[in-house]
Amino acid sequence: MSLSRLWGPARSCYSFFATKSPLATLSSLQRNSNVISFQIARGFSKKPNRVVDKSADTRNYTYYVMSLVIVAIGCTFAAIPAYRIFCEQTSFGGLTQVAKDFDKIANMKKCEDRLIRVQFNSDVPSSMRWEFKPQQHEIYVHPGETALAFYTARNPTDKPIIGISSYNLTPFQAAYYFNKIQCFCFEEQILNPGEQVDLPVFFYIDPDYVNDPALEYLDSILLSYTFFEAKSGLKLPDPFDPKNRPSIAPSPDKVPEATK
Amino acid sequence: MSQTGPFIRVTTVSAPLKGSFPLDHEGTCKLEMLNYMVCLHEKKQQNSECRSTAKDYFECRMNHGLMDKEEWQKLGYGDAKQISK
Repeated sequence: MSLSRLWGPARSCYSFFATKSPLATLSSLQRNSNVISFQIARGFSKKPNRVVDKSADTRNYTYYVMSLVIVAIGCTFAAIPAYRIFCEQTSFGGLTQVAKDFDKIANMKKCEDRLIRVQFNSDVPSSMRWEFKPQQHEIYVHPGETALAFYTARNPTDKPIIGISSYNLTPFQAAYYFNKIQCFCFEEQILNPGEQVDLPVFFYIDPDYVNDPALEYLDSILLSYTFFEAKSGLKLPDPFDPKNRPSIAPSPDKVPEATK
Repeated sequence: MSQTGPFIRVTTVSAPLKGSFPLDHEGTCKLEMLNYMVCLHEKKQQNSECRSTAKDYFECRMNHGLMDKEEWQKLGYGDAKQISK
């Protein structure tokens, strides 16, 4: 329905109320009333040219809706590279802003006004028989300054044990700025029986730490290492090999014999 | 676990820059390590005071083949660059 047809009666009502004197209003009211009523009636009655208007309007609305749909589809296609560019510019979503290379370390400046306490924690799973602990509970570091910390591991058993470690940092927002130059994680370390070694961790906190508003009141980071036992030369069966299916048959050396 | 969401930086555990320290099985640099720990204890765990002893430890490691030789500047020991912010 075209809206323009409704303006007709409204316009005539306006002109009729806009006259200056009330007397003139009354007389013009009487004169124009039949005109008004005719216009109102015309506005709401069926007319032959209304069919043409309706099809034109329908076509226009169809075009509007179709263009909206096409624009929406185009937006979904364009969103993928747009999001990637956005991530690269702002480093959200995992692409780290901190450039992990030596030039950055060489050029970074120490931030004197923030002192971060880095605490150290060590864990071993219950089946791992190393004694593993940090040599210092905490260390106070300025962002932009490289720091060294030590852990100690000892093998009290009489067999060489191979360990492999992983680390974790909390809180996660601060962990983004924590960079390790060298440590002892992710590689197999073998300890001979009765041996004790010092395991150093060489790290720094990125100077951009002070510019992060979420970290304005955070001055304490916890670095936690866990040492797992690794079996060297262990070749895990390929899960996609159809011949390699686990069996429940007990091997004689694993299952303890029941005492008679 | 960590939070997830559209605008949260995904932090993943990443490998260290220079890899892993070879284990000091013979305890070649144990003296330097103990010096560093004593320094830390005396200076109340302040890293800034004990950087020279840490540097001695790295020198010991490099001299005995337990660490790849690297310029001091690349390890953060270029003293001319330390300007307070």
